[in-house]
Amino acid sequence: MVQVFKEKLRKKEKKMKRVIILVLVTFLLLGLAINVIASTKDTIVVGLYQDAISLDPANHRNRTSETVIRNMFDGLVTRGPDMEIVPEIAESWEWLDSTTCEFRIREGITFHNGEALTAEDVEYTFNRIIKEGGMDGESSPRKGLLGPLESVEMVDDYTVVFKLSEPWTVLLKMLPHQQIVPKDYLEEVGSEEFRKHPIGAGPFKFIEGKLNERIVLERFDDYYGGSPDLPPVGVAPLKTVIFEILPESSTRVAALLSGECDIVQNVPSVDVPRIEKSSNATIKYSKGTRANYLEMNITKPPFDNPNVRKAMNYAFDRDLLIEVLYNGEGGVFAGPLFPYEPMFDSSLTPYKYNPELAKVLLKEAGYPDGFSLVLDTETDFKEPAEIAAGMLSEVGIDCTVRLWEWGVLKPLLLKGERALLLNTWGSSILDPVGYVDAKFLTDGRGNYSKYSNPEVDRLIVEGSTSVDLSKRKEIYKEMQRIINDEYFYIGWSIDDLTGCSVDLINWEPIPDSRINLHDASFK
Amino acid sequence: MKGIKILERILIVIPTMLAIAILVFVLMRIMPGDPVDKMMGESGNVSIEEVQALEKEFHLDLPLFEQLKIFVIGIFHGDLGISFQERRPVWDIIVERVPATIELALGALIFSLIVALPIGIISAVKQNSLIDRLGMAFAFLGISAPAFWLGIIFIIIFAVNLNILPVYGRVAFAYKPIHITGMYVLDSILSRNWPALKDSLIHLILPSISLGAAQAAVITRILRSSMLEVLRADYVTLARTKGLSEYVVITKHALRNALIPTVTVIGLQIGMLLGGNMIIETIFGWPGLGRLVVTSIFNRDFPVVQGSVMFYALIYVTANLIVDILYTYLNPRTTI
Repeated sequence: MVQVFKEKLRKKEKKMKRVIILVLVTFLLLGLAINVIASTKDTIVVGLYQDAISLDPANHRNRTSETVIRNMFDGLVTRGPDMEIVPEIAESWEWLDSTTCEFRIREGITFHNGEALTAEDVEYTFNRIIKEGGMDGESSPRKGLLGPLESVEMVDDYTVVFKLSEPWTVLLKMLPHQQIVPKDYLEEVGSEEFRKHPIGAGPFKFIEGKLNERIVLERFDDYYGGSPDLPPVGVAPLKTVIFEILPESSTRVAALLSGECDIVQNVPSVDVPRIEKSSNATIKYSKGTRANYLEMNITKPPFDNPNVRKAMNYAFDRDLLIEVLYNGEGGVFAGPLFPYEPMFDSSLTPYKYNPELAKVLLKEAGYPDGFSLVLDTETDFKEPAEIAAGMLSEVGIDCTVRLWEWGVLKPLLLKGERALLLNTWGSSILDPVGYVDAKFLTDGRGNYSKYSNPEVDRLIVEGSTSVDLSKRKEIYKEMQRIINDEYFYIGWSIDDLTGCSVDLINWEPIPDSRINLHDASFK
Repeated sequence: MKGIKILERILIVIPTMLAIAILVFVLMRIMPGDPVDKMMGESGNVSIEEVQALEKEFHLDLPLFEQLKIFVIGIFHGDLGISFQERRPVWDIIVERVPATIELALGALIFSLIVALPIGIISAVKQNSLIDRLGMAFAFLGISAPAFWLGIIFIIIFAVNLNILPVYGRVAFAYKPIHITGMYVLDSILSRNWPALKDSLIHLILPSISLGAAQAAVITRILRSSMLEVLRADYVTLARTKGLSEYVVITKHALRNALIPTVTVIGLQIGMLLGGNMIIETIFGWPGLGRLVVTSIFNRDFPVVQGSVMFYALIYVTANLIVDILYTYLNPRTTI
């Protein structure tokens, strides 16, 4: 009896074991099943670092959305890799007077639905943005990017006139940010439907996609060819473009290394050696359009004392920061302007690292033993902030880094409640307009130093309305000198790092972080 | 009598949801940060008129009480509002995201059950054996290792170094099944698209394991301890003395009873799997509800956060209600 029982038990145990083994083996096999992404040589996969917000060119204020949109839509003008403005949908333009600009539209351009693009579409596109409630009752968040643009009117089928309420020197530089939409289609389907099925006149047409997951575009075979100033002109070599949203940087890097992505945005500098060592991927550097800075609140002690601010400039070794943290891929600059913009005054020299002088200045300012303060920043800037804090502590400034969520920190900065900030601000057109009025104009929307100087305010306003290039240069030179002498803004730039497949050809990143895939192809 | 009590419980859901709605509304408004400012990004110029027009459009210029009124009235009409960022109905956005989250939660649950049930049972039956010790060591590891760390390690090993599993996403574009439920595995089966099924299952492996590891560990430990307890119970001894085979004793008598506390825990875990996957969704580029909430909180997209939290709350409240009602049937001694 006992024998039979034991035998039965053994059999059952065996059976159970078999089931478990079967389950484990199934799992293992499933894991081993190789998944090869169908990335043929005419399909490119791009890993974006954040969700796109909208595929309607008038309905966002976000660079990632623009990156996707500008592969589907073309603008009147565009930029080459050197940031020069070149014609795209516009064939030419002429300033009739300081506030009126006439554009001649290229003939023979069609939208993805086959309709011809005319001046009427251009007029409609801009009125949709500048008129309150222009998008079926909703207002476009892009109005501010068109400054004093008052009206856009078509003269004939291929001529359109832009009227400004006051002279605005950067109109052309700002126009690449606006893309032309088809009037008839939009009026027929409405904005809501248009956002689901966008139609443009760019090199790729929309196939399907979710803004937070994957957006798929396909080559538009009737493309007019794009800007003649940016050869090669013609239909795109790639057949399919896939944008994948990958918010986690380690995932983007992994996707690049495993060959699942061909281009990935925003590679962290720590991953550069790993990518450069790999056989299938490389890093491309571009100068970027964002300045990083250490900014002092001049209304609050101890930074209300110019000597303390000056000491900060001598205590912070920006060259070393760029060397250790960004492999030397960046630059140190003097004054408030980004060094790659034409208005930058290269005669200004950055304050050189000199901790001894910093200590003397602190003593003169009444802080012989230094002082304690908090350096505010976001998680993205944790490392540079910690390095800066370490450098400041060497001259006796006991600095603690505090990481904030930006939405929480910003209102406090604007109220002038914080003392020291490490952050970034961008100017995608590489012009002071839109940048200095936010950062240095009294109560500007990014004026975290609470700086207020009527003379600087005057220069900023004058600089944005003056149309004479040499006069503008003089105005901004003066502005840079004044701000540089106030010591409250310590700037540096770091290069944008884009990871890409070694097989990718005819593609270069451009400073405004846009990914134009019109010419790209594979070896 | 029971019917009335159940109806009472269902009716209590309404004030509960209303309280949650008001709470999340107030919390979002207390949080510093301006939605219009977030919408405008950190570059370029913004005019005051532009900001005012958007504030008006989003009703942000109205007093808080008025805004709350609009929100609550909207809820009763089934309208969760319009997303500030995307300018689309919040309901549409949530509905788009939910299937991905459910699919991942189910994947994680299935993984945790496949691992936990055999290990839990064997560990209890062969207490203190090598299998038991290994099983418990794994369970300890599963509880201790954070999901995001596991996710990144799995990606490095299986996707980058071995290159046998994909890094991110739900399915390769080439295999995407037609949209029926939004859950790709189910859609592939329904449309008999076997390549899509294979591809979506492959994409599920790493995120499911990363998300399910901790749950597997918890279930293993609960199952083992309740099995141990049950195996020492009098009725199990009786079953053995009756001469029943050990297999029958374990599966029919012990396991069935040991499963009761385990099932309760599994029920709770489902809620956690659905609500606690923000990080895993971010790491694996998984476009679910968790990632939506995180992004929307950072963007101060009030309507989306409010809508999503209400949705989570509804799932929890409904799940609790169902469990409570089921209990009264399973165990007549309990009352609602």
